[in-house]
Amino acid sequence: MNRSGIIRRPRTEAAKSPASDERELLARVVAGDLRAFERLYRLYQPRLSRFLTTLLRRPQLIEEVLDDTMMVVWQSADRFRGSSKLSTWIFAIAYRKAHKARLKWPDPIEEPEQDTRLSEDPAPDDELHHQKLHDSLMRAMDQLSADHRAVVELTYFHGLGYREIAEIVDCPVDTVKTRMFHARRRLKQAIGGRLSDWF
Amino acid sequence: MDRIQPAIGPHDAAEELLPWYATGQLDATERAQVESHLYSCAACREQLTAERRLIGEFQTTSPQVESGWARLKARIDPPRPVQSFKFPIFADLWGILSRPAVATLAAAQLALIVVGGGALYSLTRPDYHVLGAAPVPASANAIVMFAPNAREADVQGALNAASASIVGGPTVAGAYLVHLDPAKRNAGLGKLQGDQAVQLAQPIDGTAP
Repeated sequence: MNRSGIIRRPRTEAAKSPASDERELLARVVAGDLRAFERLYRLYQPRLSRFLTTLLRRPQLIEEVLDDTMMVVWQSADRFRGSSKLSTWIFAIAYRKAHKARLKWPDPIEEPEQDTRLSEDPAPDDELHHQKLHDSLMRAMDQLSADHRAVVELTYFHGLGYREIAEIVDCPVDTVKTRMFHARRRLKQAIGGRLSDWF
Repeated sequence: MDRIQPAIGPHDAAEELLPWYATGQLDATERAQVESHLYSCAACREQLTAERRLIGEFQTTSPQVESGWARLKARIDPPRPVQSFKFPIFADLWGILSRPAVATLAAAQLALIVVGGGALYSLTRPDYHVLGAAPVPASANAIVMFAPNAREADVQGALNAASASIVGGPTVAGAYLVHLDPAKRNAGLGKLQGDQAVQLAQPIDGTAP
């Protein structure tokens, strides 16, 4: 955190790897280097898996879409022109694949919406209370649309800017901001508006 | 829900950007705009704290990588048994032999030869003979298994055509030990192997046919 209180990009595996290293890996992938592709896979698999878990309700679809996404990277690496970040290109492929998968296999029918708000009663155990807060938040995420979940996930977990997210989900930047605004409102409602619980 | 909002005031504009301010993803102009607003807005400062906590909550453990990589690698390069052969022709031969159907047949033949060989050994080993006992029968130099539907006449015809005679058997596997005239052994084997009544005919005298 710097003087102005900005939290730097979340520390994920890909964030540790400079973009130039990823470009170099991709160049080797273009040449058919399977070991380079394995390294790229290991860099992106956790991020993509998490992203797709947010978008898709069916575990078997998550694996399938992740594999299909990385197969596109393996087979079409030469199509990456470098006009965007490599991560943007890969996430956009994953998003499109997930979108197609959802059209083919709609989400299973959810149980009726539950009241996700927390009780006002203080919990006797801080850890237990935090766990309840976390569970409540995740349930609220589940109740958002896939498009809203994608924006929240790409922002909070993957640390992407709204312009990059707009490229991935292929929509105007204002739409990304609006989706995030409404999603945050729903999440705040889910935790009962008790922001003090979070401090 | 996704409609683009009309012109919004400084508070809404700053609040909208807070998530990306918290993750450090704003450019310098936007960052200055948000910081300027934060200075005078307690609600947004509180919201910023909540944003940071949300980010922390979303940083959870990632799924296992190993099983996923193994799955994808298998799709790219299906595993093959690794065999090292000095000569490519042996590698090709191993490829044929390692096919399931061929391997099963080869295993069955091997088992048959082992059983037949054991029977041959027991039949041809020197027995104790008293004086005046019958002469030792001609030694077997081939093993034959007849087709299950072969009639006696078919068996007899096959043996006659090959100038062969049964000297032992049947073994537990249903094979017979036969003697072929050594001078015509190869031709006799060929005739047996080509006969429909014969399922298997193999030399067992250690000499190639």
